[in-house]
Amino acid sequence: MSEEKLLEIRNLQVQFNTDRGPITAVKGVDLDVYKGKTLGIVGESGSGKSVTALSIMRLIPDPPGKIINGYIKFKGKNLLDMSLGDMRTIRGNKIAMIFQEPMTSLNPVFTVGNQIIEVLDLHQSHLSKEEKKNKAINMLDLVGIPAPEKRIKEYPHQLSGGMRQRVMIAMALACEPDILIADEPTTALDVTIQAQILELMNKLKEKLGMGIIFITHDLGVVAEMCDDVAVMYCGRIVEASDVSTVFKHPFHPYTKGLMESIPSFDSTEDETKARLKTIEGMVPSLFDLPKGCSFQDRCPEAIDECRGKKGPPLLEEQAPGHQAACFNPLK
Amino acid sequence: MNLYVYTLRRLLYIIPVLLGVCAIVFFLFSVVSPDPTLIMLGKHASVQQMEELRRELGLDRPWFIQYLDIVKSAFTFDFGRSWSTKQEILTMIKQGAIPSLTLSLPAFILSFVISITISLFVAFYRGKILDKIAIFGCVSMMSISSLAYILFGQWFFGYKLGLFEISGYEYGFPDFVPYVILPGIIWIILGLGPDVRFYRTILLDEIYQDYVRTARAKGLGESLILFKHVLKNAMIPIITYLIIAIPFLILGALLLESFFSIPGLGAMTLNAVNASDFPVIKAMTILTSVAYIIFSVITDICYTLVDPRVRLK
Repeated sequence: MSEEKLLEIRNLQVQFNTDRGPITAVKGVDLDVYKGKTLGIVGESGSGKSVTALSIMRLIPDPPGKIINGYIKFKGKNLLDMSLGDMRTIRGNKIAMIFQEPMTSLNPVFTVGNQIIEVLDLHQSHLSKEEKKNKAINMLDLVGIPAPEKRIKEYPHQLSGGMRQRVMIAMALACEPDILIADEPTTALDVTIQAQILELMNKLKEKLGMGIIFITHDLGVVAEMCDDVAVMYCGRIVEASDVSTVFKHPFHPYTKGLMESIPSFDSTEDETKARLKTIEGMVPSLFDLPKGCSFQDRCPEAIDECRGKKGPPLLEEQAPGHQAACFNPLK
Repeated sequence: MNLYVYTLRRLLYIIPVLLGVCAIVFFLFSVVSPDPTLIMLGKHASVQQMEELRRELGLDRPWFIQYLDIVKSAFTFDFGRSWSTKQEILTMIKQGAIPSLTLSLPAFILSFVISITISLFVAFYRGKILDKIAIFGCVSMMSISSLAYILFGQWFFGYKLGLFEISGYEYGFPDFVPYVILPGIIWIILGLGPDVRFYRTILLDEIYQDYVRTARAKGLGESLILFKHVLKNAMIPIITYLIIAIPFLILGALLLESFFSIPGLGAMTLNAVNASDFPVIKAMTILTSVAYIIFSVITDICYTLVDPRVRLK
């Protein structure tokens, strides 16, 4: 394989100290991000997907959070060993991040231009003031904001949600990062705007050739956006492969459940009238996880082994290049 | 809309508000409070004496004329003469303002600078031991009566160590300096507890906002985040808090002035209250209201400078 590996995460474990004792939000996650590829991380709220993303940036609020095990190697260097000063030269520069809440993620009292130029001040201080301003305008243009030379003087409250997310993307890409982490970037947006933002991200990936980590709870979006996918449940990856393989033949009942809960237009009339399938039950509390597989209580395929004392199933290769963590994988 | 037009219009709003203030003052002093002639002449005055005095004070005229008198004084600052000292009230206020302001203005500014600096430190080390010590200190300082600080300061620094003057005042720079140092320090210490606690709360409210996470993701250092991003957002509630305190500067620090025998506006007001010197009390009430109104206009203008979301309407 000629793909350039940008990021290698192995056995990442993140713990939070709470009033009710420590909980492990991420329990040994392995991920790889390649240049020019999009990796999707899918899961429900509390599955640990956002915590994984924040760990890469070392932005886990500490206290109460702490990365207790594993490594995150970016181009061969372990980010977890870096000093905070070195880490700051990576953040926003080599690895950038955009967030779920475009309405509140920009500072309300500074202009859009000011906030983009701030990144350039930090990481590309060799540029002159004029060059930085031009670059900021170019970035806004690149993300499809009309009249960028005017917008640059505007404040976030003067922009719509979609426009703000575009500004966030412009800010994130200002230093041409190797990796862009997008933490549910379209969840808070209208569906039409969502499609526009996704299209924009795909276009920019082609153009800039970065690796993207795309976090979402929506498998439909994964199908549109991603090359590889990792499905997370209760802090573990339960299935991982390239997108078409997973969609063609999911091994884990949870993945299948997620796929069946996507509404589809091209179903036959009978199917349309039938109710949309859901996954029964709720995500268990991290304080009170069952022994064995965390998904057992909601799983239609659960066997004795899943509830047994063997502990949770390990992520194993079920077919070439396709891993799943399940005692009773789907055939 | 233009900032100048906005300011002008806000200043015009002062007129109706001031008329309202005058109405309240008139009501309080003419209708609710006892007959001033009784206070001035005592219980054994003859009816004739009282009639004479009423005429002299202009209390026999129709009520709306008396109301207009108050309105006139509010706009011209001509408050007439004091009943007890027979002095021109405006002169008294001018005289009293100097000791008051030489004490309160530097103390107010220093107090703000010191409190905000400490709270920035505390916010920087939030959740750490320094933060906890600071909060403990604030609450303890707030729990002690202000009288304790004044008495201890006078006894220890004034009497035991003999460092500062503890009574009196002299006009002119630098003669006044020794008289205002100790009350000034006590002013600052009195403000420290509540101010640091308040500013810390404001700063921490901002630190957990999403835009701070964005700033960290951009690679900004904690101190730049605190001083640039957080502080500018925190300025909005801080400005409000500060401006509310400003009428105290005008009125002077009642307690400190009386304990340190500083002949400022606070002491003057206290004396006037003791002597039922209505014109002086009226004048101070109106003056404080005017100050309050003007500073609230200034607050609104400050908002527009700090927060782009505030529109001029």
